[in-house]
Amino acid sequence: MEATKVIDSRGSACPGPITDLIKAYRNSKVGDILELWATDLGVKADTDAWAKKTGNEILEVREDPDKIVVKIKINKR
Amino acid sequence: MEDKLSIILFSGTTDRIIAASVIAQAAAALGTDVKVFATFWGLLNFTKGEKKMMLPKEFESMGPMLMEGMKRDGVKSWYEMLKEAKEFGAKIYACSMTASIMGIKKEDLDPIVDGVVGAATFVQESAGGNTLFI
Repeated sequence: MEATKVIDSRGSACPGPITDLIKAYRNSKVGDILELWATDLGVKADTDAWAKKTGNEILEVREDPDKIVVKIKINKR
Repeated sequence: MEDKLSIILFSGTTDRIIAASVIAQAAAALGTDVKVFATFWGLLNFTKGEKKMMLPKEFESMGPMLMEGMKRDGVKSWYEMLKEAKEFGAKIYACSMTASIMGIKKEDLDPIVDGVVGAATFVQESAGGNTLFI
């Protein structure tokens, strides 16, 4: 699935990436796919915790050589 | 239960205030009602002017390494993190008794501080939520 928005948080330490994601989430709508790029190692666990709390869905977690990519489907606003 | 986090920031050392600020920012971004109460040495960081780095004696020699690592890894300053937390609704309060004994007046406080409060306010505001003492 194609991302509606890419959030580039590479080079930003915790809690930067999750904060960037939540800011993007505030401007998103149901059905959007947000793609978060990060280098902070906590991003997988943190996005997972956030998705559980807010009722959104992690579609994919991928480790590229230069970044961790988390794709999130917005089910709830 | 209401989603609420109160942080008593007692320590004035930079390592601890960084830890408190990271949690404050993350919790506030997640929608938690965050309140930071700066008391005793913790309040020294909230007067106007330059914020100096201060580490516990046993870790003092690691200061430069810490600064370098934080720069490399894109860790924001604790002040920036608390400002970010405030954008998500966090509040920062100064302890009135500490301010009084240290001769800190309202006008000496950094604009990041939302108000000067007493212990009863803390008890009331933190009731029913989680509290961290840092």
